[in-house]
Formats: sequence, C-alpha cells, structure tokens
Amino acid sequence: MRVSRRAIPYLLLLPGIGWLILFYLYPALQLFLVSLWTGNITDGYQQTFNFGIYAEGLSEYSPWIVRSAAYGGLATILAFLLGYPLAYAIAFKGGRYKNLLLFLVIAPFFVSFLLRTISWKIILADSGIVLGPLKDVGLLGDDFRILATPAAVIAGITYNLLPFMTLPLYVALEKVDFRLLEAARDLYAGPWRPGGTIVGAIVGGAILALAAFVLDAEPLIPAAVGAAIGAAVGTFLISEAFVRVTWPMSLPGVFAGSLLTFIPAVGDFINAELLGNPRTQMIGNVIQGRFLEIADYPMASALSFILMAAIIVGVLLYARVLGTEELTGGRA
Amino acid sequence: MDESVKLDKPVTRRTFLVGGSLAGFAAFLAACGTQGQTGAPTGRATATAAATSGASAGPTTAATEAPLPTGGGALNFANWVGYMDMSDDEEHYPTLEKFTAETAIEVNYADGAIDSNETFFTSDLQAPLQAGLPTEWDIVVVTDWMVARLARLGWLETINTAATPNFPANLLQQYIGRSFDPDTNLSAPWQSGMTGIGFDKAVTGDLTSLAVFWDATYAGRMTYLDELRDTVGLAALKLGFDPATLTEEQWQQSLAEVDTAVKAGIPRQITGNYYTEVMASGDAVIAIAWSGDITSLLQPDQTRRQDFQWVLADEGGMLWTDNMVIPKGAANKGQAELWIDFYYRPENAAAVAAWVNYVCPVKGAAEILIAEDPDIGNNQLIFPTDEMTGRLHQFRSTSADEEQRWAEEFSRVLGL
Repeated sequence: MRVSRRAIPYLLLLPGIGWLILFYLYPALQLFLVSLWTGNITDGYQQTFNFGIYAEGLSEYSPWIVRSAAYGGLATILAFLLGYPLAYAIAFKGGRYKNLLLFLVIAPFFVSFLLRTISWKIILADSGIVLGPLKDVGLLGDDFRILATPAAVIAGITYNLLPFMTLPLYVALEKVDFRLLEAARDLYAGPWRPGGTIVGAIVGGAILALAAFVLDAEPLIPAAVGAAIGAAVGTFLISEAFVRVTWPMSLPGVFAGSLLTFIPAVGDFINAELLGNPRTQMIGNVIQGRFLEIADYPMASALSFILMAAIIVGVLLYARVLGTEELTGGRA
Repeated sequence: MDESVKLDKPVTRRTFLVGGSLAGFAAFLAACGTQGQTGAPTGRATATAAATSGASAGPTTAATEAPLPTGGGALNFANWVGYMDMSDDEEHYPTLEKFTAETAIEVNYADGAIDSNETFFTSDLQAPLQAGLPTEWDIVVVTDWMVARLARLGWLETINTAATPNFPANLLQQYIGRSFDPDTNLSAPWQSGMTGIGFDKAVTGDLTSLAVFWDATYAGRMTYLDELRDTVGLAALKLGFDPATLTEEQWQQSLAEVDTAVKAGIPRQITGNYYTEVMASGDAVIAIAWSGDITSLLQPDQTRRQDFQWVLADEGGMLWTDNMVIPKGAANKGQAELWIDFYYRPENAAAVAAWVNYVCPVKGAAEILIAEDPDIGNNQLIFPTDEMTGRLHQFRSTSADEEQRWAEEFSRVLGL
C-alpha cells in the first residue's frame, strides 16, 4: 500500500512524459541528426556528423539571431509596459467586472493568429482606414507607412503575445494582500521621491533609446522623451508602497510573463513575413526559408538548435538576475 | 523577513511556469522536426508506394497502356491563382464543369495551391516523392525549370500519348521536344507568359523602362517576385545581359543589382503570386508582374481611381511556360491524361486563354478566339506582337549544382 502510494506521483507523470518523449524528444533528436547531414536536394543527403555546420550557422546568421533577439526583447518590454498597468487595474480595480475584463484579454485568441495578423495589413494599409484619412487631412506625409517596417513587426508581435504577458502578471498581482499595502502606508510609505523620478527617467530613457537603436533611428531625442515620460510616471504614479510591496510580490508574474512572451517572440516568423520587409526577416523566417524554399534541411535544423541554445542561455541568465532582485526586494 | 518567507511559494509556481513556457517552445520545435524528418531518405518506401497505389488507384491507374477511363473517378489538380476561367460571379469554373459533364470525373481544383515553384516543390512534392510515395495531386502546374528538375529526379509520370489523341498533336511546334522533355511526353504546356512591369497608371503615369524597379521615388511602394528567374532575369536585362546566355559573372552582377535595391529599401516585399493583393490594397503601385495577372486578378477600386496596367519593358522581359505534369505515382493518372487531352481540344484551351489572358500553347485556339471575338486579336497579352516577341528572353537552363547555388544566393538577397 505504502509503495503504491509513493508511486502515484510518478504514475501521474507518465502521460506527460510519454507525450514529450514522443512529440518532443524524438523529433528533437531527429532534428539534431538531420543537422549533421551533408548533401543537397538533388544528390540526396548523407549522415556525415558534420558538426562544423554549427560554427558556420553561427557566423553566417548571427545578424538574424541578433535582430530576432532585439525585436523579441523590444516586444517583451512593450508588452510589459502595456500589460502591467492592465493587469494591475484588473486585479485591484476590476471589482465585479474582473472576469469580464479577463475574458476580454484573451478574447483575441478566439480568432486565428494568422487572421489577426492579416487583418492588420488591411487596417494599416498605406491608404487604408487608419492612415488614409490622416494623410488626407495632411497630418501624415504621403510617404508615411506603418506596414513593411520593423516597427510594424515589433508591434504585431507585441499585440499577438500581449495576453501571455498580462495573464501571469494578473495572477501574481491578484495574490497581493491589500492589508500589506495598508500596513506600509501606516509605516509612512508615501510617494516615491526622488527615487521614482530618477529610476523612471533612467528606465524610460533606456527603453526608448534601445527602441530607436533597433529601429535604426537617432537615439538622442527618443531617449530624452523617454526620460521625461519615465520621470513623470515615476514621480506622480509610483508610490513607496508599490515599490516595497506590490512590485516585489509581482516579480514572479513579471518573470513568467516575460518568458512566455519573449520565447515565442524570438522564434516568430509570421509577423516578419506579413508585416515586415526583406530587411526585417527574423531567424524564424530563415529557418522556414531553409526548410521550405531551399530545402537545406541540415542548416535549417542546425539553426533551430542554435536558436534553442541561445534562448536557454538567455533565460538562465535572466533567471539569475531576476532571482537576485527578488531576494533583495524580499529583504527590504 | 516575514515577507521573504512568503515569497518562497511564488518561486515554485514561477519555476513551474518556466517549465510550461519551455514545453510550449518544445512543441514548436517538434513541429519543425517533423518537417525536417520528411526529407529523410527511407528504404521502406517502395513497398508502401506499391501498396498505396494498388489500394487507392482508379480503374486504369495500374497499367499505363490500359485504355483511358470513360467515366468516373477524381482528379486532384493544383494550380496557380487566376489560372482557370471563371464564371462572371466567380463561383464556377465553366471549363472544369464541362469536363466533369463529359467524363463524370470529379475535379478537386485547388486554385492558388501553388504560389511559388520552390515552395510548392518543398511543401507538396519533395517529401513524398523522395520517399517513393504518391503526392496528393494528379496534375500540378509548374514552370519549365521546375519540370526540368522533376524530370532530372525521375519524379514525373510519362504521359501515355497513345491515349491522348489531342496531345501532343495540337501542341504548337515551338514547344515540341524541349531540352528537358525531348520526347514531349513528360509535360503538357498550360500557358506561356511574360514578366514585365505591372503598375497603377493613376499613380505612376506611363512606364516603359526597367529602371523604375531601381527608382528610389517609389521606394517601399513596389514588389519583386520571389522567383529568381523573373527578378534576376529582369535585372540582367536592365544591365544589358541576355538571360538566355547568362555567364556566372553576369549572374553575380545581376544579383548584386537586385541586392542593392533591396538594401536601399526599394522593394516593399518580395512575394509570390501574392503581389496582386499588395497592389489591390494600394500598398504597392509597381510590381514585377506576370502578364495576365493584372487583367484577370486585379479589380481596380473605382473610388481610388486605380488603373492597373502591364507593359513589356523597352529593355525586354522574361518569357516562360507553365506546364501540366503528373507527379510520379499519381493515384488518378488515367483521369489526368483525360484532362490533358480535353484541354488540348482547341475550344477548351481557347475558353481558358480568353479568361486568364496568357499565351495559349494549343494549336487552333487562336483561330477560335478570333472567330468568337475579333477584338481579342489585339490583346497583346494573349497574342504578343512580333515586335514584343523580339524583346522576350528565356532564362537559361541551369545545372543541378548551379540551380542549388543560385537559389541559395538569391535567398540571401531576399533577406533569408
């Protein structure tokens, strides 16, 4: 009796593990073996254990990997900036509309990912229903466009992944005990000044400077604007109670949400394909093109593994950094 | 201190969530894995293929020499968008319906199943054929060079011309015995067409020179084709090279010409047949375009006064032919041959040509078209003038090595 009870957790693991072995481990192994082939489509492929392909892939395609990480990172930051206030509002001010609001957050998922992205093309067409009127009244130049730009790709990724950021944040924020905030205020936690001003300016400036850098724009003015906005937000909207109680307690949600957003964002190829131009292609597009157009299976497989390795390294680093922050926050 | 104790719990959940997100990523990779795997050469395939074709074949599939089926069965037909005549309400394919009425063969016509030769090859043909299995298609329409590749790989069924009285009897002389199909029994030409400048005249005015594809005035407002023979072919013509005799050095220069434009942000997108939709939305006003598409696929939006035109550039344009082929092991080979024979009856080919606006390879179709509508003789998309024919060039054939290498180099220019 005791033995079988001890076995129960393992038995419960069986279906999941079996599933992963069949549909993840086995294909991943296959993929790895394919990456070591040499040959081409006409002459066929041989298994040659050509590990050199990994060095080749890294050197040849690092610009695409860097671009993907930059787009994915920016999309994650953007999703965080949009998702945190949203989750906060639902958790603390949602009241009896909480469930409805949460439903609205995931409602876009009822429409296919592809359709949502294609509809962006229609809505944001150069002379479509949004830009057309703005151009007609002269608010925008005739050459202005959103589609086929890096900004469109990043915005598309952000939009498509926003619920993955918002929901974990909500779960974390919802758990925050309001009495802790009251206790903090009782202990003289007031507005966060001047800390909020300084931190806000630094964070805001850094984000917009990074965005400008990724979008190939001059970073100085965006950095100044970002710093100003950040300082204003930090000065007027962030309280000491938030910094000392709510924020540390929401960190697990920030961590989970940013990973759930960043990982699919880096591997995304739909947004770059539909909303981008030839110079905004991401590593996912390269992998897809290698598989489907050039039929270069070894390189496509190798790039898949390189991407996976890069993401795992990035995530481990991130876990270390945020893990420490969380401890500091907890101690304070 | 109390708080840090509390925080222990979320850490567990966090770890769980990390695991979850990694598992999601794993599923994505697993999907990729399957695709990669299909490329694997396998030994057991031949037996399976025999079993499959035996099980699912129509009445006459097994033996090539057997008489054609007189009725029944199905035909799975993959084609490019806008490549079959449609009724005015765009809900019927009259020619296909006529075929079904005559033969009782049900046609599963996949309009737009093919958007680009390369992609269709890899997504639909390569994996099953390499494994010796039938594809899901009985007839596919691919461009000359892709016929050459499929023939080289031995992935095409021979058309039993003894059973097709109209083919190649009604095939125009210039298509007989082409280098990749010396016996004219692997491929039946569907349409020939030209590659030139598609544009919205209301925005750009008249255009005649290929230089417009490098004109920064229209940066971000034009599309290139992801078919290298079209896009690099036009670049070669712009530089004064003949694509029919392109040397390695000329190829490199032409490719560099395309690369320069892409780096400068001149093409907005590099697409397959999808370019017509980018033009329809007004996002692109100039496109490297196939001759018939502009007329048959683009409905100008009157409120925006769109005026779509196609012109063969002064420097010249590309000439190509798309062909019907039967992939190896096709389940309904007999039905496919019946269709080829049906299409090669001049009145049927004429009906298709009149709608799709491409050059018809079938003898006698021109006469029928002109008899029905004398004006159509002036349609230069269907009847290019001698002067135009003089400006048309075919892209030269490539060796297997060249084909692979050039495709790679071109994909690099596409940003991939």
